[in-house]
Amino acid sequence: MSAPIVPIPGVKTAWLTRFSTRQRAEHFVAMSLFILLIVTGMPQKFPSARLSVIAVHAFGGIQAARFIHRTCGLLFTIAVAVHLAVAIFQVLTRRVRLFSMVPDRKDFTDAVTTLRYYIGLTKKQASFDRYDFRQKFEYWGMVMGSLIMVLSGLVLLFPLAVTWLLPGQLIPAAKMLHTSEGLLATLVIIVWHLYNAHLNPDVFPFDSSIFTGKISLERMHKEHPLELARKEKAPPAP
Amino acid sequence: MKRILVVLLGVLAFDASAQEEPITPAEEVDNCMGCHGLSDLEMKLGTGEIFSLRVNREAYGKSSHHKLGCTDCHADLKGVEGEHAKKPLASKREFAVAYSESCKRCHFSNYTETLDSVHHARIAGGKLDGAVCSDCHGAHDVTPAAEPRSRISRTCAKCHRGISEAYAKSVHGQALAATENEDVPTCTDCHHSHDIADPRTGAWRLKTPELCGGCHANPKLMAKYKLSPEVLQTYLADFHGVTVQLQKGEKGANPVVALCTDCHGVHDIARTKGEGSKVIQANLLGTCQKCHAGAKADFPAAWMSHYQPSFEKAPLVYAIKLAYSFFIPFMIGGLALQLILHLWRLAVNR
Repeated sequence: MSAPIVPIPGVKTAWLTRFSTRQRAEHFVAMSLFILLIVTGMPQKFPSARLSVIAVHAFGGIQAARFIHRTCGLLFTIAVAVHLAVAIFQVLTRRVRLFSMVPDRKDFTDAVTTLRYYIGLTKKQASFDRYDFRQKFEYWGMVMGSLIMVLSGLVLLFPLAVTWLLPGQLIPAAKMLHTSEGLLATLVIIVWHLYNAHLNPDVFPFDSSIFTGKISLERMHKEHPLELARKEKAPPAP
Repeated sequence: MKRILVVLLGVLAFDASAQEEPITPAEEVDNCMGCHGLSDLEMKLGTGEIFSLRVNREAYGKSSHHKLGCTDCHADLKGVEGEHAKKPLASKREFAVAYSESCKRCHFSNYTETLDSVHHARIAGGKLDGAVCSDCHGAHDVTPAAEPRSRISRTCAKCHRGISEAYAKSVHGQALAATENEDVPTCTDCHHSHDIADPRTGAWRLKTPELCGGCHANPKLMAKYKLSPEVLQTYLADFHGVTVQLQKGEKGANPVVALCTDCHGVHDIARTKGEGSKVIQANLLGTCQKCHAGAKADFPAAWMSHYQPSFEKAPLVYAIKLAYSFFIPFMIGGLALQLILHLWRLAVNR
């Protein structure tokens, strides 16, 4: 049983572990592949733009850009498969709490409370457990988006094999799906993730926890008080 | 001052009287025809060729140049009186090639354009069969090359026979022969007349969609013939067209994807409908298989046949497009709104 943790003014910030090495590695891999996929993919969605032509030339031509895009896509597919396999395994063996990532009723009321707080209808602020409703939303958006990108990407990678069995219209449909979902994902990252992880005044200039795995006690108090309270009550995990 | 002027006038007057009255171009032609009008005036060249030196005066009289004198082109003989020295000619061909220089004096811009042509590149490489001015325009019988319009392909046919025959059977060639229609492309509309580029290069291939699109993306022109003006736009939106656009300007790029001509043919372009067409549904699989070796029955349906996705033509593609056109602004708008509200709250709390 650890003693209640209260930040003491003038004393060095206490740091807690928030993400495991595997989680940090997963984020790093996803981030790197995501950036490479965007810079090689967007020019193919907007081929008439001057910037697209410049980007493609920088990669050594469209053939090279497509090779990079497809290689990154396949690596991303593996990363998604590994992540889902590990997640399912951990839930089945009860290594992680099933509901830590699954949206529930509280997430819905938290969202409403937060919005009401923002527009000044209430002084009450929602308090969060390990993941708040925004993080769960982004996680599931990422999972669903990844599945769409992986499946439609595979259709586009093997159009001949797909049309041996399935109707030909699936190919342009997969292309429409792949490029539209890709655009959505890119915009979400630019608008939402860039704000939450960098530009948000609470974390500006950079929320480093997903890279270092550490989060300050001060931020835990503010952002994940329920998790902190749970951890203080329970013995630390082996 | 007055004195100087008088002296100056005197000098000018003396100068004019000293010069002989120049002969008119017509007189000059008369003079030259004294010899060059004779049918048996000929010369044996070093190669053994017999080179007739006769000029057909009647044809010259009808030519575009009929008001010119002989030395306007044969400038080296200007001022020569009576019989001129024999010229040392190696061969008829060398003479023709050398004499194309004389067109430069008046037709300077056309002449310089030919320097960029594949014809000139051949001559510069030592192969004298590359076309020079007189091969297409004629020499003493030069007349407007594009009158009538169908003459152009007949001119090219002098060397490019097979291609010309294929063109004559194509939808364009047939229409031109039947109607002399200004809208119908002939050789020079795609290849130009003087700066004819080598059509076997990757750079030329990459230009193909632009070239065909010049007419086929023009709504007014296409409406006249009840053809779709969307063929270029839909091509560029597809995988093949995306590749072509992104390959542009790439050094030594040779497109590995289908261009207009790969499916529709180059000079033998046929109507898209009808039995001879390579692109009607019945023949499309064979056309796809030229590049996509393993293509089976439903593969051609992966190509949307130059249609924009619509509820009738490609319902699944259309549905996805429609869904995202609402979903993306809704999602991004919602997230942006949340973000702005958060910033606003922080500002208010401060």
